Parts: sequence; structure tokens; C-alpha cells
Amino acid sequence: MHALFRSTSTFLRSRPSFDRAAARRVKVALLVLGTCPAAALAQWLDYPTPGIPRTADGKPDLSAPAPRTPEGKPDFSGIWFANVPARDMCPGGDCIQEERMAREQINIGINLEGGLPYTQWSREQMVLRQQDGGVHDPHMRCMPPNFPRAWTLPQHIKIVQTPDLMVLLHEFNAAYREVFLDGRPLPEDPNPTWNGYSTAHWEGDTLVIETIGIRDDMWLDIQGSPVTESARVTERLKRVNFGLMEVEIAVDDPKAYTRPWSVTIEMAYQADTTMLEEICLDDEQNVRMHFPQ
Amino acid sequence: MTKTTFKTNHSLSRRLALAAAAASLAAALPAAAHHSQSEFDFQKSVTVEGTVTELSWKSPHARLYVDVVNEKGEVENWNFELPSPTTLMRRGWTRKSLQPGDIVTVTAAPARDFPTIAYARSIRDANGEPMFTGVTEIIEPERASEESGGSTP
Repeated sequence: MHALFRSTSTFLRSRPSFDRAAARRVKVALLVLGTCPAAALAQWLDYPTPGIPRTADGKPDLSAPAPRTPEGKPDFSGIWFANVPARDMCPGGDCIQEERMAREQINIGINLEGGLPYTQWSREQMVLRQQDGGVHDPHMRCMPPNFPRAWTLPQHIKIVQTPDLMVLLHEFNAAYREVFLDGRPLPEDPNPTWNGYSTAHWEGDTLVIETIGIRDDMWLDIQGSPVTESARVTERLKRVNFGLMEVEIAVDDPKAYTRPWSVTIEMAYQADTTMLEEICLDDEQNVRMHFPQ
Repeated sequence: MTKTTFKTNHSLSRRLALAAAAASLAAALPAAAHHSQSEFDFQKSVTVEGTVTELSWKSPHARLYVDVVNEKGEVENWNFELPSPTTLMRRGWTRKSLQPGDIVTVTAAPARDFPTIAYARSIRDANGEPMFTGVTEIIEPERASEESGGSTP
């Protein structure tokens, strides 16, 4: 936009017959466009997120202290994505970018010493799940994003936090998850669902989310690590600073694992962007092409 | 005006081999979320030049259709898989970034079972300028440094 403004200004000055007042009006119009390029050009992908800390040069201050709610609790509100860098590479002149994705998307226990403590049942399940090149993966079949796996998927997550309720919006299939902070107990004998049933409480500045009622056939990663109806999942959210959140995922699932385990995934705040709807079955023909059977 | 060349990307092959060895899952890992691990051969590379007939802008993968004249002088309509439209939009693409009639050169990983289907790795426009496609490379990701902060590209 600035380059456009400069070149337009030069063009206008080079035409003596052009009325100077008209030139000023054109320049003002271009300046207005330049101040809101996102609205004019690309939805809200570059629209400045209001109310966030910024450095002197206007960039989001990712190292600023974690924001707090009026009640004094850490505020996790905002758009988040796995904390992995974007890397552009141009080998041989052809440019590519590594798709940003958490390594835990492939194996959620990749950073766990000794790996995940699978039960024999889990190992047998994974053999079945890895047959036929991964076509049995619910995610590849455009099924809903299920937490805690959803933290690792390569789509953005938006957290909307109120004192009594946290809502997590996921770009993939425009999905949602509710986490209740209103003191209600976890349900007894819940009907199993993709995300289960979640309540949360505060332990200092850590939000502790407890979940039960997950379906028996859920996957935690691409390699098919199970999580089942017998699971109790505890997520501990800590906002380290403005730009970083740690999500500790603890899984106690005696059907799938011989002992409880936990991993921590880092999430990075995504400033000056917006959620983009990604409906996986939008192109059903596309999906059928992958699964011709 | 159009051409087709086939080659093996040895550099990528080495990276793939290293990544596969590092991964706990011995099988090749998927390069994108919504297709079979075995659908494309990411150790091969094909480069074609042709004329865009359609940019399909739908999830889970955008698709670029390109008319290419093969060695027999016949026109083949290639089907190039791209990342999701949301990924492309965050790389600066729009649904109008390529339009019917545009000349492009596409480097891609060929499908194993379909001779004119491939996963686009990079695209050059008629002026030879590269367009980022956001293709997944199977490389061990590094944690974002404080400087990068995992910010949106």
C-alpha cells in the first residue's frame, strides 16, 4: 500500500494539468485505504487485534505479562496455534514452506521419555489403526477435532473466557468445546462424546480442566494412540506471558495405558489475525478421491 | 510452451529418510492431514508447465487444474493438490490468485496411482516468480525461538 501511495503520488506530480486539490483528495483516500488494508483487501487477516500490548514499533509485545480478567485471574482469551516456527525454504530456487504443525500431532508422546506406556490392547488397536496408510484416522476422514488432540492440529483455536465458562472455538469444521467454571460436578455415567465433559477450577494462576466421558474410539495423534471411555484427562493451562501458553495434558486411562502420563504442549498467541472457517467436507469429492474404497 | 519433466528430489529424499528414522512410527508420515500416507510419492518430483483451467477453493485441500501438453502432443488436465484454502490465505493467497488462462510451472510430488494427479510443492507464475504453497515437509520441527514467537506467517 505504501509503495502504491508513493508511485501514485509521483504519477500525480508528473501531470501538471492535474488539479492539486484533486490530487490531495486522491492521496487522502489512499491514506484511508492504507490505514485499514485488511478490511479493504483480505477479510480481517491483518486487522490489528485491539487492546493488546504492543512495542514501540507497533508489533505485538509477546513478552509482556500475561493479561488478567477483572476478577484477577489469568485471561486466556485470544487466538492460539501450536508454538512452532514458520520456515520458508527455497532450495534450487523453488520456494516451499514447511507446514507449521506440532510434532505431537504425529506422536503425542514424542517428547515423553520412553514413549507412551501403551497397554497390550492399545498396541493391538494401533496395529489396526495404522493399516492401509492411515485412512482409518478420523481426522483424515474429516471427523470433528477432538480434545486434547485438537491442541496439536494445524488450525487455529480461539478461546473466549468468562468467569463461569470458557469456550474453545476450533477452525477445523468450525467446532466448539465448552469448559464450565461454574462449580458444577462432572456428570455421572455420561453419554460419551468426541470432547467429553469438562469442568475447570483455578489452582493459583493455573486453570485445571478435568474431562471425562470421552468416546471409546478416539485418537490422540496420527499414529493412532488411543484415548477411551475409561479416561480422565486433566489439562493444566498456564499463560507464561502474553505470547505463550503452556498446556499440560495428563491422561489417566487404564484401558489404554499402563500408568498415567502427561506431556506439555506450547501454544503461541496469534495477534492481528482472525479465525478462518475450514469445513473439511466442503469438497466431498476431494475426500472421496483419497478414499476410493 | 508446455513441458513435462520428471526427476527425483534427492535432497528431499535424504530429509525424508532422516525424519522417518527419527519418528517413532516407522511408516512414512503424511505430508498433509487429509490423505493417505501412501497416496503421493514424496521422494519423487515432477515439474510441468501449463495453462490454469481452474483453482478449486474448497477444504480440505484447494486444487489447481492445469492443461499440460504431453510428449505426444496431447492435452492432459493435471490435478494438483494444494494445502487448505485457510493455509493458503495465511500465505497471502486469495481464491483469485490464479485464474483460468494463467501460465504456471508446478513442481509436485506425483500420486502413486494416478499419472496426472500430484501434490504441489511450489508454483511459479508466468514471470517465473515463486508462489509459496505451504507444503508440508517432513522435517523435525524445532520449537519457536523467542524471536519468532510462533507468530503468524
